[in-house]
Order: sequence, then structure tokens, then C-alpha cells
Amino acid sequence: MSELSALLGKSPYEERDDRLFLGEMNRVTLHHLKGCPEYARVWEGWRNAESVADLPFLHAGLFKRMLFKTVSAGIEHGRFLQSSSTSGSQPSQVLLDRRSSEWQSQSSTAILKDFLSIASCPLLVMDNPKNLRQRHLSARTAAALALRPLATDMRFVLNASDSIRWDIVDEAARSADSLLVCGFTWAFWTTWVTELARTAPADVRARLASKHIAFVHSGGWKKLAALQVDRKAFDSALLETSGPGSQVLDFYGLVEQNGVVYPLCDFDFRHVPVWADVLVRDPFTLTPLVGEVGQLQLLNPLPLGAPYHSVLTEDLGRIEPGACSCGRSGTRFEVLGRIPKAELRGCANV
Amino acid sequence: MSNRLCWFRSGDTVSALALPILPNDVIADWDSLRKTMLRKRPPDFERDEWAYLVTFLDREHLESVFHSEFGDLIQTPGMGAFRLLRPRGLVGIWLPNNVSLLGPLALIILTLTGCQLWLKSGSEATNLARIFLDFAREHLRAGPLKHYLDTMVAVETLDRDDARLKEMAVRCNVRIVFGSDAAAEAIHGLAPPHRGVAFSFLDRQSEAWLDLRAFDEGVMETLAKVFVIYGQAGCTSPRRVVVINGTIADATEIRRRLLEAWPRLFPKASPMHFASTSVMTRQWAATGGWDAALTPGHNAVLAVGPYDLAPIPSPMMLSFSPATLAKAVSGLPSNIQTIGYAAPHGIMMDEWLPALSATAAKRLVPLGQMHHFGPVWDGQPYWRQCFEEMEVAG
Repeated sequence: MSELSALLGKSPYEERDDRLFLGEMNRVTLHHLKGCPEYARVWEGWRNAESVADLPFLHAGLFKRMLFKTVSAGIEHGRFLQSSSTSGSQPSQVLLDRRSSEWQSQSSTAILKDFLSIASCPLLVMDNPKNLRQRHLSARTAAALALRPLATDMRFVLNASDSIRWDIVDEAARSADSLLVCGFTWAFWTTWVTELARTAPADVRARLASKHIAFVHSGGWKKLAALQVDRKAFDSALLETSGPGSQVLDFYGLVEQNGVVYPLCDFDFRHVPVWADVLVRDPFTLTPLVGEVGQLQLLNPLPLGAPYHSVLTEDLGRIEPGACSCGRSGTRFEVLGRIPKAELRGCANV
Repeated sequence: MSNRLCWFRSGDTVSALALPILPNDVIADWDSLRKTMLRKRPPDFERDEWAYLVTFLDREHLESVFHSEFGDLIQTPGMGAFRLLRPRGLVGIWLPNNVSLLGPLALIILTLTGCQLWLKSGSEATNLARIFLDFAREHLRAGPLKHYLDTMVAVETLDRDDARLKEMAVRCNVRIVFGSDAAAEAIHGLAPPHRGVAFSFLDRQSEAWLDLRAFDEGVMETLAKVFVIYGQAGCTSPRRVVVINGTIADATEIRRRLLEAWPRLFPKASPMHFASTSVMTRQWAATGGWDAALTPGHNAVLAVGPYDLAPIPSPMMLSFSPATLAKAVSGLPSNIQTIGYAAPHGIMMDEWLPALSATAAKRLVPLGQMHHFGPVWDGQPYWRQCFEEMEVAG
């Protein structure tokens, strides 16, 4: 795994070594072909890829239908990570393993650190602590754990009925000048933004208004769009509750790509770290596209316990050619929402 | 409105139908609408769906409904006993969300009964029954059918919590429920059908059976078309193709020819969502051991494998498996609805029909008729039961 260590040892957005990345992806693909019979059946006869576009992938929808597992010496499987499935569909699940979890944690921490303008401080998690004790790990808990290395301590602030415990928030605010707050986009709106004015004591509101807060959020915008809340309105509403220099950071990630997150830069693009890659494919031919809208494929060589190292998502995106004004190198892209749903008419249950 | 009598004879049985509109008048008006339908199509209907509706409204087809149930139309009854049949009253039709053409088809065929109709669709559905009813009301010439549709037919969208659902269950003399077991149970649980009759058309699935001696280009095209219109979402769509007494090599060859013909048969791009789901389905099928292939344009997955492989319940997957007749019969799903066949007549009558007679299959029809909707559905004579019978001694 020395090559992988070399990749992870880099700064996430320095000059890429595409040869090194492809080598690692080929190696991890062979590892899964040997250890996961279901995966091997999908990609029967596959040989080393000459380019990233030739690497095998699994469609994200498969992770809603089956739990893949790669068996190999030295792999210790643990809990599984489960998506939130907010739209009422079946949640996605991936099986975690110890070694990969360490790399994934190292990866997401390095990525988020690059985007956050905040020193080590208390981390408030918009979640209920009971979620930590479950057999599966939720996506939002995993996101919070990724921020844990950047924080002095971590507190879960939602009670059993998903309302904010302002006493916990206040305790953290009294202990530091800065705060990291993370959670789902929708949860921020329905709890932090909506409840602050209604249920938070005046002294807590005043204290928060003087703090440097970094709000880190992820999740869909469908429900907010229905309320006519766009990104600008969302960010403004959060920043109004906090002090000068505060920041709102939106990141994109999938449980099927645990460990690699894609925060939005100041120029509204998402950037690919040197240990990952992104492709956009034509849904009707799977041909790679640049500059055109298509289906996003996300790749990283970190997972060993199950073959979720290359995933064709159900999201639309577009790769923007050229360098970004934010200064980060490598591929940059936009996420343009889910593939529009289309249903077959019929009377049978499928 | 007083009813008018219309006489039929089937063998020795004479029937008098007492209807608010004579069958010929209803049928003539429906037939006249077809001309407009050839020029105009509401955008919510797919081209194939609309074409099927046009065919369904053909005069001879609608006449055949009366013929199959009551025999030949006659002018005078002659002497002797007969039965008088009158519309039973209010007929309630519960349609599930996202239902296919069943809504408009049920509407059309039930207009022939002269009963008052109350159709309920789910709130999330593209309500094809309503869209078709609106189209017919707008484009029919003034006449008996238009008057009937304006005054005797209602299509409503009701949520599952709507209080009118109970009213509907209480008031309807005939209940026709399309949907899941749970939905039917809930509807019939609203009020017991003390006075009337009730029919439940529940979740079903269908298969296509092929005998290689009958397989040709025409059969292949028909198979592709009956599948593509609803995929696995249609209760009358083939979920799998069983090659009776064939081999894996035979199934693979059929799939190869179908893949080759696909771009010609379906040149139009499918929605992006279907393309993505097809990519997922191909991989899902492969994990389960199927030899699965994407069609050009990614609008379906055609998979070949042994008969005993676990099925993949994905909307646009069609599987091809060989089996002996005995195995195909014993492997039928418990909720089998239609078996669409392509086989020499002798084989079908002498071998397949006897073997299938003891199964739960409801229909055995040529491939091209798998989606045909008629006065008997799921083995139940719901259309005939929309009439109440009075014995009349001569």
C-alpha cells in the first residue's frame, strides 16, 4: 500500500500524478475482482485499464439492492455505512473495514481542512448521539466524524425529537471563540435557522452572533427549492445567526464514496483531490464527456472491504475545462442534481 | 331515463338488455371518435398507447364484447322464456397510482353496460382515464355517448385518506379494484358489499412462452413491442421468455437477433432515467449469474440464463430461459396472469393447454394479445356482472 500512502501523503489539490492514481485504481480493482465474486461476475474478463475511463464501475443503484463484500487477508470488516434515503427510496449501504476507514478519515479531513478557514474548535453535530451506537453508521454521522480531527471536542445537539438542545450549543459557545457546526442541509434549515429565532434563549442567540462559525452541510436541495430557498438565501440565513468571518461550506459526497468529499469552492466548483477522480458519462452510450452534462462517475482507491472504489452515480454533472480561480489544480466540476425520475406506467409491483 | 330493449340469442338462451342507450349507438359514437384520435393525441399518452386505444374502439371489437357475452344480436325474441338484464347501478372503479391504459380501457368497456361510472385514481397518477374522458367529451359529436359521458361518468383523484372513498365503497353496486392486495383489502374493508358485487384485480405477472418452430422475425418484433410498452411494470407484460424445450444456445440466439433488431424497432431515445436504470440492471443481473446485455440506447436489458436463476425485479429487464414444458408449468409464479405464446397450433392445443389447465394462469393468448383487455379479466366476468338479471317467463 506504499503507493496509496504516497497519494494520501500529498496535499489534496497539488499537481496530480495520473499514472500513480491509475496504478492504484488498477491494483484495487484487481483486489476486488479476486475477493468479491459478485463484482467479478459484473466485470468478467476485465484486464488492467490503460486510462481512468476504462476502469470498471458499479452503478450506485446496486448499493441499494445488495451489500457487497470483498474478502481478503488482512481485511477486517466492521459496521456498514447507510445513506439517509430522504426521498423515501431504499437506502444505499456499504460495508466498512478498518484499514480503509483510517484512509477515508485521513482523506476527508485533509479535504475539508483545505476549505475551512477555522482553527481547531468545538464541533457541534446536528444529529442525535444514539445514531453513533447503531449497527450501521449514517451518512451524516460519518460526515461529522470526518470533521472530528479538526475539532477540540464533539457534541451532538439534536434531541430524540430532532430539536436543538440550545443548552449544549451554549456550553460550546461559552468555551471557544469559534465553532464548527455540521449537518444535513435540510436539518440546518429546519432546526438551526427556523428554531434559533423561535426557541433559543436571547443570550444564546447573542453569544452565537459574536462567534466565528463554520457551517458545514451536505444533502439535497429539493425540499428547500420547494420552499423557494436557494443557496444564497440559505447561506445568508445561516450567516445572519453568526459573527464576522463565518463561513458556510456545502460539500457533495456519497456513502458509496465514503472518505472523499467535494466541497464547493468560492467560484462554485467542486475539485477532485489527487487521490480521486471524476468522470462524466453520456447515459445512453457511457462515453466520457468534457464540458457536457452527463452522469457523474466518482473514483478513489481507498476502499478495500467492498468494491465501492468506482461508482457511476445517479447524479448529473459537468466537468468544466480550464483552471479555477480558486487556485486548486486538477479536474473541477458542477453537480446538477439527480437524473430526472421517469416512471413506467403499469399495474404490477416491480 | 327509461331503458330500451336490445335482444340477443346464444343457442337457446335469449337475453334482453335494458339499456339507457342502444349498443349500436354507443359503438357508433366511439367509432366516430377514432377519426379524431388519428389526428390528435394528448401528450400524456405514448404513441403506442394511443394506437392501442384506437384499435380498441374499433366497431367490430366493441361489438364482440356483446357477442361473447350474449350471442348474436336479433330483432325479435320469438316465444319462450328469456332473461332480462339491466344495469346494476353505480360502478366504482379504483385505479392505482401510475396505472397503465387499464383506466381508459375499463372506462370504455364499462360504458357499454349503461351503468353510472365513478372512477377513482391515485393522487400521484398521471390520470389517463381522466385525460381520455376529457378528450372524448371535447371531441365527440353531440349524441347519446357524449350525453352519457357528461351525465353518468365521473373521474376523480382521491387521496387514500379522503372521506369520499368510504362513500364510494358504500354507494357503489359494483366495485372494481385494481391494485395491490393491501389496497384491495383497505377498500373492501371500508364497507362490506352487502348489496352488490366486488372484484379485485390484484398484483399479477405474465410470461411469454416460445416454441422455436414458431419463432420468426414477426414473433420477435411482437415480443419486443409487448415488452417495451410497460416493461415489468405491466401485469400483462412478459417478465421472462421461456423457450420451451430449447437450450441456452437457443435463448442466446433469440437474444442476439433481438439486440440486432433493437435500433430499428426502437429508434427513439428513452428517458435518461431508464438508461441509467438499465445500466444498473445489467450489473445487478450479472451479479446473480445472468448473461445480461444492454440494448443499444440503454433502454432495456436482455438477459439469458438457466430457468432456475433468481429473477431480477427491475422494470426494463427481459430474461430468456430454456425449460421443458413440465418445468415451465411447475415454475409459474403463483400470481401468474397471462401467458403469451408463439407456438404451432397443434403443440399449443395438444400439449400446452392441457398442461396449463390445472394452473392459476388466467389467460393463454398469442404474444400480440398479451395486453388486450376484455370483459373477463383475471378470470372474473366483471363486465357481465355489471348487469342484474330478471327472469321472465313467456
